[in-house]
Amino acid sequence: MGEQSKYLPECPGMDEVTRKLTEEYGGRVIFSREAEVYVEVPRHALKDVAKYLYSSGAFLKTCAAVDERSLNHSFAVYHIFGMDSKGYDVIVKVSAPENNAWVPSIVNVVPAADWCELEARDMVGIELRGRRLVRRLVLPEDWPEHLHPLRKDVPHNFRPPSVKAESEFRPAERGIPIGPYHPVLHEPEYFELLVEGETVVDVYYRGFHVHRGIEKLGESPRFTYQKIPFLAERICGICGFVHSTCAIMAMEKAAGIMPPERAEYIRTIVLELERIHSHLLWVGVAAHVLGYDAGFMHTWRVREPVMILSELITGSRKTYGLNLVGGVRRDIDKDKMEKITKTLDRLEKEFKELANLLVSVPQIRNRAQGTGVLSRSEARALSVVGPVARASGLYRDVRKDYPYLAYREASFKVPLYTEGDNLARVLVRVEEVFESISIIRQLLDKLPGGPIMNEECSSIMPVDEMIPPGRYAVAAVEAPRGEDVHFLMTGEGRPYRWRVRAPTYQNIPALRPMLRGDPLADAPLTIASIDPCFSCTDRALVVDVRTGRARTIKLWDGGVGTCRL
Amino acid sequence: MKLLSIAARAKVVTRRYPFEPPVVTEGFRGKIEVDPKLCWGCGVCTRICPPNALTLKQREDGTLVLSYFMGRCIFCGMCAEVCPRGAITVTKEFELASLTMEDLTRDVKHDVVRCRICGRVIGPAVEIKEATKSVGGEEAKYYDLCPECRKLVVARGIMTKVGVRP
Repeated sequence: MGEQSKYLPECPGMDEVTRKLTEEYGGRVIFSREAEVYVEVPRHALKDVAKYLYSSGAFLKTCAAVDERSLNHSFAVYHIFGMDSKGYDVIVKVSAPENNAWVPSIVNVVPAADWCELEARDMVGIELRGRRLVRRLVLPEDWPEHLHPLRKDVPHNFRPPSVKAESEFRPAERGIPIGPYHPVLHEPEYFELLVEGETVVDVYYRGFHVHRGIEKLGESPRFTYQKIPFLAERICGICGFVHSTCAIMAMEKAAGIMPPERAEYIRTIVLELERIHSHLLWVGVAAHVLGYDAGFMHTWRVREPVMILSELITGSRKTYGLNLVGGVRRDIDKDKMEKITKTLDRLEKEFKELANLLVSVPQIRNRAQGTGVLSRSEARALSVVGPVARASGLYRDVRKDYPYLAYREASFKVPLYTEGDNLARVLVRVEEVFESISIIRQLLDKLPGGPIMNEECSSIMPVDEMIPPGRYAVAAVEAPRGEDVHFLMTGEGRPYRWRVRAPTYQNIPALRPMLRGDPLADAPLTIASIDPCFSCTDRALVVDVRTGRARTIKLWDGGVGTCRL
Repeated sequence: MKLLSIAARAKVVTRRYPFEPPVVTEGFRGKIEVDPKLCWGCGVCTRICPPNALTLKQREDGTLVLSYFMGRCIFCGMCAEVCPRGAITVTKEFELASLTMEDLTRDVKHDVVRCRICGRVIGPAVEIKEATKSVGGEEAKYYDLCPECRKLVVARGIMTKVGVRP
């Protein structure tokens, strides 16, 4: 943590922040618990509060807009600030009466607030004053005006008629399109790169095509708390366990349920296994993007035993279905421990050899070195997370800053590079694989005995009644791609509001500084270098693209809306 | 060049699936099977099922059907964990491709007990029969009455006993 103080001020303590917010800015503490404080501030003070927190070293994790009309006739926005160097969160709430629904924007003070503010505008219909607006970020172009899907009066299965798409702000010059379907990026997203000769001068992005409405579904009568881990797991096809763990941590925090120690260890072990397979997958894809397919295949060959191991431990290669509120479903016995150790030993040996080879191949080194540079100050301004932050010299890792589960029990190093280029992002991930192997070994050695499920939760049904309504919780987990944040407001038997902020959401805006000034040929690698996960990022949408034929995105007739990054 | 030596050591690792059986570990969870002999039709599994792959529906002919649609199943196996009868087993089967939708559905039919007075469906026959057995005695007489009619019958009985005209 001392690393950060070199370029960031040391965050003040929780008491000092609370005192300052209440005494100087007229705030009111709603609620606090260990490492979390919720303060409601008046609308006019929000910008100053944001300025104060940001200048004292806080990172903006995200903001969550909530339709609270049924509770207190107002809308609310919760800005979640993470005080990384002290390991606690300050959640700043501003409300707006329902007939005058506006809040001040803080994007000019905290640039990282850009996307989540636009999402609040699109999904809940809160007006944001004092910022540049784009027509739409999240909602598709043919979505009716004044229909905000995350409002409580919109049913979760409502399908509005398609309206004629309005033409949206887009660059006058024509750029080179990448996407929405592209052989390198395996999910639908759309970039338009403006070039002068071979050099990228600007980037436009339009995403949110993978619309599944998971947050809304989680709040709908279809779901209850005990089913939500399974839904959360499906937010992402690669870091699903991160999402289910994070959602469960939020629910357990809200209800004060303590999972047994052994369950926490097992969750940590599986989280690290997931990081290993995700990083190996990414290293392979990076080689593939560079046209080095032999490297891609061998990385994936080395990865395969990890997938088989995951299946053995959890019951499935992906979407493990291991987590429940209060514990885990399967134990790791002696036999499985042996198999884990054996697989990891082999993996360590094989991947060491392969990784040394990959980073020494001159074609890869030359393409990755010095391309897609993100400076530390830009990284800080956009609050980027995970390997992207750590490759740009930002010492940020939830596992160290806000230790959760069993991470306190393991000693590990957080790889840090200051170059901020594609090579640094490769090296961070390669080193993290070895750190994860070491974490799993340490935890297996220390694995405590005892049950794997909290006794009170062991019967399935009562869990839904164990979580009382009207509670708040914020949980964060370090996913392979960075910090994953879940904000939960509890309701009757199911969440009142469940906001998911995946790591890629925070990292995509960083692509603009990365891509500008670079040759066009390096763009695919740079885009891939943040390890983008679009299904995570796009989780919040309500429209099923398959059913709305009128919603097919037309690339060449100006029907697509682009959002200036 | 170094990669060649790695490749030479690794040799061929891909399998000739589907001409060879797939690699499945002993921990794998596949589709489920419901034993119609053990199932009572209580419907606990339908309440825990996250994707609603298991549903309990009443047909027009009066039978109650526990329907398992594999197309929605996520292989989580929660149903097997909560089944009070141990009627659900998790198999290792996952190759479900088929040309017809019917192949993806398995139904377990249950006869129902209707209220002998008003004719409303009370519940699945096996469950009520077994429950009646465990209750026994005086209460067992009312097994084929719906809660509403049972109240009336019991109240009438008490009134007759104490000599009040119903």
